[in-house]
Amino acid sequence: MNMQRTLMPWMRRLAGTLLLAGLLGAGSAAAGDGVVLAFDGAGGTLLRARGAALARSDDGGRHWTPMKLPAIPAAGRIASIAVAAAGQGGLYVAGPGIGVLRSDDGGRSWSARNEGLPGKHVTALASHAEQPDTVFAYVSGHGFFRSLDGGQRWQLMDAGPRGGIARFVHSNMPGSMQTGWFFAATGEGVRRSMDCFCGWRDAGELGRAATAIAYDPRQPQHVYAATDDGLFLSANGGEQWSRAGAPAAAVEALVVTPAGIVFAAADDGALFRSGDGAKTWERVGA
Amino acid sequence: MRSLPAVALIVLSAAARAGESPPAAAQQPGAGLRVYQAQCASCHGGKGEGAPEWQRPDKLGEMPAPPHDRDGHTWKHADGMLYGIVKNGWRDPFNKTQRLTMPAFGQRLAPAEMRAVIEYLKTLWTPEQRRFQEEESRRAPYPPEAR
Repeated sequence: MNMQRTLMPWMRRLAGTLLLAGLLGAGSAAAGDGVVLAFDGAGGTLLRARGAALARSDDGGRHWTPMKLPAIPAAGRIASIAVAAAGQGGLYVAGPGIGVLRSDDGGRSWSARNEGLPGKHVTALASHAEQPDTVFAYVSGHGFFRSLDGGQRWQLMDAGPRGGIARFVHSNMPGSMQTGWFFAATGEGVRRSMDCFCGWRDAGELGRAATAIAYDPRQPQHVYAATDDGLFLSANGGEQWSRAGAPAAAVEALVVTPAGIVFAAADDGALFRSGDGAKTWERVGA
Repeated sequence: MRSLPAVALIVLSAAARAGESPPAAAQQPGAGLRVYQAQCASCHGGKGEGAPEWQRPDKLGEMPAPPHDRDGHTWKHADGMLYGIVKNGWRDPFNKTQRLTMPAFGQRLAPAEMRAVIEYLKTLWTPEQRRFQEEESRRAPYPPEAR
């Protein structure tokens, strides 16, 4: 079923909101544009993107190996990297001007996965925490799309939170009506929704724009959010936030490994590592 | 919670006891509507419009009953999930009380009645929403007890 076609009346009712969300999303929630991080738990590989350049590290960020991508338009940039759940090997990169690319051979070859998306202005992408074939994409000005077949076909699901989003994650935190939760870094803080797309709500009162978001796979109620005022941690799924230790630099990207190691990247590419839940940090590769 | 009219209860319960297949019972004209009006309308509204201000927690910190009509999100759930929520209830983990957000009806309604009321809710949706929900339900259909 083509959700774009069948949901047109619904979309028309929301057209004004969507347009506004897209415009705001491009302006107010795009602070985390420069650096992107992801972690492949199956291979213990840290992945990093800056602009249109993708690289991998098998030693926790001390050494990096560039990864080849198909030709990317000059204005294109990688906004998200995602790894399919359960060690199934699927690797995604996505971003404005790129759309969605998937590799099933560790990044040696890539194929476009854009059928059903309204264009290539993919602002953010995240894989399902547990279902290897399920992946979600946010397209600025249009909303959230879901694919249940590894990106082969996309369906429009939801307009997304007001103001657009910069980044989001899918989490297997308990308590959802469906299979998990979304946490989105937005221009108005962190917003949260069950993955049935049953409504976006403020996740606590962070009180400032969030530029990056991550959660601890060992304890999904632990959510990290980066802001221009430092790093914050919630131990209860975003209800309350407390200030965490932060690297000296402003954090643009966050990821937590299955072992609970937190990596943070600054806008200049500097990488930081915390092994104690963001209390203390060390610079990697300095 | 208002009680189900005695006649309707007798008819529905008798049908379930007699082994009438739930789909047939669910398709009885008005069966789902009667269950809805008796069991659901007091919280979700007579026309499925939901509680006022349903998108924000109330004074107790609980999420009010959402609409079931086209303006709500019930249509985003598969049959199996809706059935489970009606039967077992559900608590929003961020509620400030420990009460169930949605009460459990598994001890109060027969499987045929729970299915009937879900089928009634589908009459409140747009054709597009019904098509979407039908597709979702292929992956998560009613459980065997309700088929």
